[in-house]
Amino acid sequence: MAQTPNTTKKIEIADLTVRYGEMEALKGISFDVYENEILGVIGPAQSGKTTLLKTINRTIELEPSVQVSGSVKIDGTDVKSVKNVNQLRRRIGMVFPLPVGLPLSIYDNVAFAPRTAGIHNRSELDETVERCLQQAALWDEVKDRLNSLGTKLSGGQQQRLTIARALSHQPEILCLDEFSIAVDPVTTMRIEDILKELQSQITIILVTNLVQQARRLANRTAFIFESELIEINDNDVIFSDSPANRLTFEYVNGTFG
Amino acid sequence: MATDLNSSRTSPEIVAPQLMFTATDQSRKKQLMENIARGIFFVMTLLMILPLVLIVVYLFVKAAPILSPEFFFTNPTNGMRAGGIWAPLLGTIYIVIISLLVSAPIGVLAAVYLNEYARESWFTRIINLAVVNLAGVPSIVHALFGLGAFVYFARMGRSVLAASLTLAIMTLPVIIASTKEALGAVPMAFREACWNTGATRWQTIRGIVLPNSISGILTGVILQVSRAAGETAPIMFTGAVFFKAISEGDVLAYGLLDRFMALSMHLYQLSTQVPGVPEALEYGTAVVLLGAVLMVNALAIALRVYLRSRKRW
Repeated sequence: MAQTPNTTKKIEIADLTVRYGEMEALKGISFDVYENEILGVIGPAQSGKTTLLKTINRTIELEPSVQVSGSVKIDGTDVKSVKNVNQLRRRIGMVFPLPVGLPLSIYDNVAFAPRTAGIHNRSELDETVERCLQQAALWDEVKDRLNSLGTKLSGGQQQRLTIARALSHQPEILCLDEFSIAVDPVTTMRIEDILKELQSQITIILVTNLVQQARRLANRTAFIFESELIEINDNDVIFSDSPANRLTFEYVNGTFG
Repeated sequence: MATDLNSSRTSPEIVAPQLMFTATDQSRKKQLMENIARGIFFVMTLLMILPLVLIVVYLFVKAAPILSPEFFFTNPTNGMRAGGIWAPLLGTIYIVIISLLVSAPIGVLAAVYLNEYARESWFTRIINLAVVNLAGVPSIVHALFGLGAFVYFARMGRSVLAASLTLAIMTLPVIIASTKEALGAVPMAFREACWNTGATRWQTIRGIVLPNSISGILTGVILQVSRAAGETAPIMFTGAVFFKAISEGDVLAYGLLDRFMALSMHLYQLSTQVPGVPEALEYGTAVVLLGAVLMVNALAIALRVYLRSRKRW
């Protein structure tokens, strides 16, 4: 388990309900995420985990016929009230399950976000690219071919490139959605180590199907089942023999899901 | 384990290796059907190519006696029974360029809006429906629209401008449709990845979408050159005339509000309206029109092949 975080609230989610047409993807969930913690989010497929992440950076609004009620506050500000949604998204790094290398060079993949934020100074960009690729455990493999296409990398490398891109705009919050699906176990461990290091600088929400990954990495873990928050608790409790909810115990121990 | 393997080898259900590739009635029938299907498809492909090859060869053979530089650079003379095709050739180039100058930017930008910005709503659905239907409107209807809107209402008279705008209206929906298709071929995941980093729509379009769809967009636009060059009906009512002498070799010979000659119209007149036209003159005009169209199409194909070879994912 990672270091103990402070208890300043970074994200406050209150009574959050998300509907896609008739289907409820999240049913009135409420919890807080503390600054510099790694919060694990576990739950079976279709339970609303990805929807939760998309609501935080408001990419949920790009989905057709979606309705969101309740509130998501970052540092006390409701994300709905943010006028410049691009600025909001720049504060949040997102990594989704399938790796997406942009059809640009490896260098440009990582420099894309800083450039769109107005940074064009070459040495500053060089520094960012190297730092992010190192943080994503990719630098050693690509440092001699930064000009080759990001889309030609292997799946696992592209996922690490995606992580590097998510870190390139220096987010305060990093949301990872099943980041290790396309990554081999050894690289996964390397990235997990890096996440632990990053924790001192940013708040991390780790959505994962791998219960043991949440156990290894997170300070606290939330269990979402059938669009409802069943339990959020310290890992010591969630992964003990007596979590607050029986369902959590059964899910964590593989009785179902 | 070894014992199991040995026993399975001698099991009566397992086909002996030497018999595995022996044809059965069933497999022979399947192979026969496969050969018949392949043969039918091949013959159909040949049937498709054959007329094109025959037309091109036939036209070139018939036109050969007249094809020379003078044929391109002299006006028709002697009541269209002699001379070359300078005036109609230049007229066609004018209307193609002007119509594309109007329709390409409007079409491409409208398609970018529809594909990248517009949200799904009844309004965008109506626009998309209108685009599809406009693309299917017969060219003679466009001609009548051009006559009413540009020649009479906008008081342009029968002119290069009126005809070009009519052609632009005609090609616009096809450019919009082909551009939308090219934009749609760029995976949505690329856009989402950009938006997630805080990039605006325009930054995403400029940085990722347009550079990766430009081959499809250009191909769509270029293919409209051949359509605009070949159409007769829309220009017949809006500006093309039977005969107009212009100064030979002067590429600025037509003004925007002048009436003009065009190759497609010229060919129609030579074949139906003028008695005693030498055969080679008709075929020569047809060869130039067809040659121009084929050259433009070849350019589009070459461009597409080149840009595809640089595909980045």
